[in-house]
Amino acid sequence: MTSVPLVSVFSADDSSKVTAKHIPLPAVFQTPIRPDIVSFVHTNIAKNRRQAHAVNPQAGMQHSAESWGTGRAVARIPRVSGSGTHRSGQAAFGNQCRKGRMSLPIKVWRRWHRRVNIKQKRHAAATAVAATGIVPLVLARGHRISQVPQIPLVVEDKIESYEKTTDALNFLKRFGAFEDVQKVVSTKVVRAGISKQRGKKYRVRKGPLVVYFNENAKLLKAFRNVPGVEVVNVTRLNLLQLAPGGQLGRFVIWTQSAFAHLDKLFGTYRYTSIIKDGYQLLRPLITNPDLARIINSNQVQEKVQPAKTTKVLHEVQKKNPLKNTKAMDRLNPYAKKQRAAAVAAIKANTKGTKKIKKNKALKKASRAAYNKVAASLNDATKAAVQEEQDIKVKYFSVQKGAAQTE
Amino acid sequence: MSQQVLWEVVKGNNAFLVKRNGLTLSTDPFNNTGVQTYSSTGFISKNAVGVVPTSGKVNQINNINLVAKKSTKFQQVDRKAKNTQSVYASTLAVKHGVHTASRVIRKRFGTSRVGLQKAALRKLVKLNRANAVRRRNELAAAKAQKK
Repeated sequence: MTSVPLVSVFSADDSSKVTAKHIPLPAVFQTPIRPDIVSFVHTNIAKNRRQAHAVNPQAGMQHSAESWGTGRAVARIPRVSGSGTHRSGQAAFGNQCRKGRMSLPIKVWRRWHRRVNIKQKRHAAATAVAATGIVPLVLARGHRISQVPQIPLVVEDKIESYEKTTDALNFLKRFGAFEDVQKVVSTKVVRAGISKQRGKKYRVRKGPLVVYFNENAKLLKAFRNVPGVEVVNVTRLNLLQLAPGGQLGRFVIWTQSAFAHLDKLFGTYRYTSIIKDGYQLLRPLITNPDLARIINSNQVQEKVQPAKTTKVLHEVQKKNPLKNTKAMDRLNPYAKKQRAAAVAAIKANTKGTKKIKKNKALKKASRAAYNKVAASLNDATKAAVQEEQDIKVKYFSVQKGAAQTE
Repeated sequence: MSQQVLWEVVKGNNAFLVKRNGLTLSTDPFNNTGVQTYSSTGFISKNAVGVVPTSGKVNQINNINLVAKKSTKFQQVDRKAKNTQSVYASTLAVKHGVHTASRVIRKRFGTSRVGLQKAALRKLVKLNRANAVRRRNELAAAKAQKK
């Protein structure tokens, strides 16, 4: 980051007043968000509060049961010895048997706790702190922060001296954190299951987390009876509180000194932590994760080739170019012009040009001449035929006359 | 914070996620489609406009609020602003009709994100119609009462 983001510190009495206008944000808040690390560390660290429990090792085994062996038309499972009671001869010891011991009985020496590498735990805590400063993540976790003036919310140290719960409540109301508390109150439910008989009657949501610094602070007592609110010292920040359920983005209220202490606690990108000896904040794999911005930037767009259009190789249904003009145009781009020229020619022909008229006249004259010739030919043929006929008639009449005279 | 990074954190589980009947839905106020997808999830984006129905007074003409997402980079709430502000959104009550509201939406998106723009406008229209029906019924009821 070239410019360091700045944060204001609010006055404890008046949420509109700002006591310190611009404080630089501690480097922790710029740690890359690593839900994978947080998830892993959380699942393991959550196991560390478990108390050992086990089944009574003698449970189901307090019999002198023996198997009857084969040949007695019963299953070979150990059976209770003795007589005079229903229990005698009944199956015993097996996990499948009634009143038998469970399979793989739980032992006290089960591995209840998990150790996690210190570095991983520190990275997870740093990420969780960073996530508390990102509004969408706090929203996604379900906190009601619509009235909160700023996230991260930093308040002057005065709240560390609160002793009365009313002060604490009024403070929360002033800073819009009461909505979150109300959510906690309204969603308090009786727990499902046997746990309610074991001291866990209610399921209560998590509200704001108040982080203070000075060890003499009295605010723990002021805030502890407010439902949902947890109070913790900066030096003892707990992943289970910063990311309850492994979900990043708890709503945190920091006191000014606690906020200032974060740089010493986690270090910065310039120097390693003083308190967490030698710890260096995680560096991001990508400094600018905004993919959209990278893709649309000038530097990338200059080098990028124009987008490929999907090439259609052929139509789904074959169109006959001799009948479909568009199909013809696709094959022969000049066809369009040819057609236009033909149309133009026809149009030109239908108009009365001199040449046309001359042609017409010529045609007419030639036709007339032809007809004349044809007519004369016709006459000639007619005359010839007639002549022949006459000769014929004469000849036959002469013959007839000759026949007659003889 | 990059939308991509936030999406990776939020897509699996978030307060607005509702999974029912095989559907993955969202109650995010900045989501105008109701379905949880990367582009429609407004609360992780830099600019989004949510069209939100509000329970207003009876006889209020429009019970719609436009909730515009603000850049949430360590910003303070501007208490002097005309619209009600919060850390992540500025809210505008749709009082002067659907047209001004639609202009606000169009101006916000400009020529980009047409899909989101259309979703917002669609929701605005639907809510407006629902309001009209409600108001008609209210007026009818009031009339009946007077008689």
